[in-house]
Amino acid sequence: MTAELIIFVLLAVIAVAAALGMLLSSNAIYSALFLVVNFGVVATFYLLLGAPFIAMVQVTVYAGAIMVLFLFVIMLLGAERLRHPNQVLSWQQPLAVVLVMALLGFAGYVVSMQGLASPPVDVANTVSYGSPAAIGELLFREYLFPFEATSLLLLSAMVGVVVLTAVDARRGVSRGVSRDRRS
Amino acid sequence: MSEEERNVVAPEQVPVADSIVARFGNALRTDDRDGYEGYVVSVESLKDVATVLRDELGYDYLSSVTGVDYFDEGKIEVVYHAYQTSGGPALNFKVQVDRENPILPSLVSVYPGADFQEREIFDMYGVSFEGHPNLRRILMWDGFAGHPLRKDWQEAYFEEENKPFDSRWPGGDVKRSEAENRFGKNVSYPDEFDIDNWAPEDDSSLYAGLNKSGSNGKKLKTDSLVVNMGPQHPSTHGVFRMVVALDGETITDLQPVMGYLHRNHEKIGERNTFLQNMPYTDRLDYLSSMSNNLGYSLAVEKLMGVDVPERAEYLRVLMAELTRVSNHMWAIGFLLNDLGAFQTPALYAIRARELILDIFEATAGSRMMCNYMRFGGVARDLPDTLRDENTVDFIGDLVNERLPAAIDELDRFLTGNEIVRSRCIGVGVLPADKAIAYSTAGPLLRASGVPYDLRRAEPYSIYDRLDFEVCTRSNGDVYDRYVVRIDEMRESVKICQQVMREIPEEGEIFTGKPQYNVRVPKGESYGRVENPKGELGYYVVSKGKTNPYRYHVRAPSFINLTVLGEMCKGHKVADAVVILGSIDIVLGEVDR
Amino acid sequence: MSPVIGIVIEAIIKSALMVFVLATAFAYLTLAERKIAAFVQVRKGPNRVGPWGLMQPAADGIKLLFKEEMVPAGADKVLFFLAPILTMIPAMVIMAVVPIGPDVELFGRSIRLGISDLNVGMLYILSVASVAVYGIVLAGWSSANKYSLLGGLRASAQMISYEIALGLSIIGPIILAGTMSLQGIITAQQQSTWYVLWQPVGALVFFLAGLAEVNRAPFDMPEAEQELTAGYFTEYSGMKFSLFFMGEYIKMVAVCAIATTLFLGGYLGPYVEQLPWLGILYFTIKTTALLFLMIWIRLTLPRLRYDQLMAFGWKVLLPLALANVVVTATATVLLG
Repeated sequence: MTAELIIFVLLAVIAVAAALGMLLSSNAIYSALFLVVNFGVVATFYLLLGAPFIAMVQVTVYAGAIMVLFLFVIMLLGAERLRHPNQVLSWQQPLAVVLVMALLGFAGYVVSMQGLASPPVDVANTVSYGSPAAIGELLFREYLFPFEATSLLLLSAMVGVVVLTAVDARRGVSRGVSRDRRS
Repeated sequence: MSEEERNVVAPEQVPVADSIVARFGNALRTDDRDGYEGYVVSVESLKDVATVLRDELGYDYLSSVTGVDYFDEGKIEVVYHAYQTSGGPALNFKVQVDRENPILPSLVSVYPGADFQEREIFDMYGVSFEGHPNLRRILMWDGFAGHPLRKDWQEAYFEEENKPFDSRWPGGDVKRSEAENRFGKNVSYPDEFDIDNWAPEDDSSLYAGLNKSGSNGKKLKTDSLVVNMGPQHPSTHGVFRMVVALDGETITDLQPVMGYLHRNHEKIGERNTFLQNMPYTDRLDYLSSMSNNLGYSLAVEKLMGVDVPERAEYLRVLMAELTRVSNHMWAIGFLLNDLGAFQTPALYAIRARELILDIFEATAGSRMMCNYMRFGGVARDLPDTLRDENTVDFIGDLVNERLPAAIDELDRFLTGNEIVRSRCIGVGVLPADKAIAYSTAGPLLRASGVPYDLRRAEPYSIYDRLDFEVCTRSNGDVYDRYVVRIDEMRESVKICQQVMREIPEEGEIFTGKPQYNVRVPKGESYGRVENPKGELGYYVVSKGKTNPYRYHVRAPSFINLTVLGEMCKGHKVADAVVILGSIDIVLGEVDR
Repeated sequence: MSPVIGIVIEAIIKSALMVFVLATAFAYLTLAERKIAAFVQVRKGPNRVGPWGLMQPAADGIKLLFKEEMVPAGADKVLFFLAPILTMIPAMVIMAVVPIGPDVELFGRSIRLGISDLNVGMLYILSVASVAVYGIVLAGWSSANKYSLLGGLRASAQMISYEIALGLSIIGPIILAGTMSLQGIITAQQQSTWYVLWQPVGALVFFLAGLAEVNRAPFDMPEAEQELTAGYFTEYSGMKFSLFFMGEYIKMVAVCAIATTLFLGGYLGPYVEQLPWLGILYFTIKTTALLFLMIWIRLTLPRLRYDQLMAFGWKVLLPLALANVVVTATATVLLG
């Protein structure tokens, strides 16, 4: 237990540091990289909790796919540097403070009501916890409707993007010539 | 007055219709200098004359624009050669301006192909072209003082006007040319040029002209990149630079920058004697030195009026056509390299080329810098044996068996290849009208569907007696240029086969006595040949001495590049490389 | 000796061995590629250093070690230094879950030939492969070079696109075997047959997507020599450059090893039950054959264009892989 606790504390420090680094660094590329580190640490938490499947998915989806796209967009737009820190969207700062207060207050309320001592269910010792089969069961039986609804939502978003860019492409690149040539 | 003019016109010259001559009155007169042909146009009516020539007489193709500095008369003459793409000889018109303040109207709006050539004249002679869209130096760098083709310009190590120079060690004392460096350590710069603040990376004038926004302004604003492809780059085929403005991966604008290999070939040519220029022509398009020789020989022979013996004509054609095959082999091999193939097609393509070079080596003494042709014939006859084989058998075997097999091999593996097709079809499309307007030549022009081949349009040597097709395609994209090259190789092999059948067994290969210093009669002449890369023209002016007064090379690689930017717009970066490869340039010829 | 310490020592020895083997494989893979290229292109290839040029990799390595390291003036020093390492590490650790032979008896212990056998092994491979792109992207960005930046951009777009097809193509074997453990997949193949026979489409998609994932021709966009000089590692020299080089070739080995495991029965072969050590031989032979195929393809085909590559990934490979998943799943349910 103690070894696990030491590892947890170490990782937690790294996670918080990475999160702060993401917030404070003025270079968007570094922000993104700190976020990747954060995701990696979170994935390790999942490993510690005995859920390798979720850990791997966390790395693959968040660190491996989404953040790579973030980097891609940052590099493509050449938006590495914040040009006017604190000037763009200056109303956001007070709003953020208010929202953080609200979040902390809510969390504190929940903790003070229910206490920190014991997790609701001791899932970690269940054999199938977090295994691919168990997650599949949950997704396709218990949460079938939200799962399918989400996928439909994502699909419509994707179609929307395709439609938007296709119009653009048709207007821009209409230089193809007939393709039926000698074979 | 028009009656007189008609009489002076050289026999092969197509006369401009009387009505048109009459319309321009004094502004258009025949060139009556001894040995000259064509018309002299006044500065004011140059543009009108050109428009009339293009629209009413069908001279739609401006082949060559060049300048001559007539120092003694205080004039700079700009010489234009225009053709009808339906065939026939050139129409040659000139315009003369004062040396001190030379300003001419630009013909780019009439003939877009004049773009780079006018820039070259601006660079070399200091003639300003009013209305030129982008009048900057093209071959020399910004910090170069003077205009190097003017007669009063002298190079740093100037010794004498003309070769052969005097002895460098008169009376036993060595006279080192370094000691006579006129500039010494103090290189001079133009007045307004500030060497300390000049940085080649921010060629601001060059970058400013680039169109950096994409096709439609409302798009997502991505970072616009300006990328310098070259001068050090693996696929620019030498020290050539393309300044590319990119929107993502899409090219919004492209400017070719050249001159890194410039050695003032034409000035050297004017210092040399006529014959001394022959080996220099090898160094232009160094992959096809035989054809370069042929073009220069034709130009000087026209002035000298010598005939070439029958056997020599056949030898010339044989060598020129073998050169075409070897050049196209390289062109296709390099094109595949540019497409990203890992050298393999290129190495297979040049296997047959080695045998062709064997023939050159055995005959001319050198594999690439052949220096083979002479005014009035060729330097040497075929050797008896080649690689321990009878030469005639060797060449016969090559043109009947091995070359067709090699071409078939390329055709079989490349023509139908899915990736080659998907990368080449529809890329770098050049419509026929643009191909003509931009004065493109060679496979580039013919792939756009213009059946213009000098060997048919204005036959030289013995091409009128030979049976071959002019290969054309209609779509004008990279793929068609590739197919035209494959077809042209087949036709060249066919010509070689005929030559080997019909060549006279015995006979002279040279007219008259070989001379070191030929004296060439006064006059001007323009000799042009269908080089593998396009029309190679030599404009030579003689003042009756042993040195050419003016020696200009109309380099197909150089002029074909005029249209590069136009062809690349809207394509991806990877396509720019392929399009450049499909033009098939050699920097020795581009930069001269 | 307590069992925990034994396991730790065993893991350390096996990891060290794996690193050594992969480094050697990298060195001789480069030589093999040059030799095969020479054979294909009717030339001789390297033959000066040692017999048949066998010492050429050593000579190259020594040369690269002593080359000057250059850092461009405008580069982001930290990331420029980090990028080659980030490329190299995933390439190495991805091999950790690949079994290269059956269990063998050694020093009285039963030793697994393979560093680890995760029960989510396939997911591990996917996640490591998905973070492998960071090295390339960051190299492209931190070099302050436009070719590099374009190479990095291309790499990120390409890898994301092809990862999806890659991930879908391995679902077939997982469904058939009913497990994500690579050892389990091999055992399942022992009971039926090589999965390339049941999953020909899946195997094809995996191989093509794998080619794209390791940036091999005809999908070598990020480093396309003819367009981007060398793409993301244009500015790298010396040892940093060789790390990139090494990462690329080890990734090649890894992809081929995984393909062998998933579709070619891994270390299975005749008499492997009697002589477990034979497994390593079979595994090496199969992996080498796939590597030869990769080299052969590079020597034969021109490169696709960037947009064509994306279109191929999204419009051909992805639907194909999806259809393969659907067909496999349906067939498994219907046939039991």
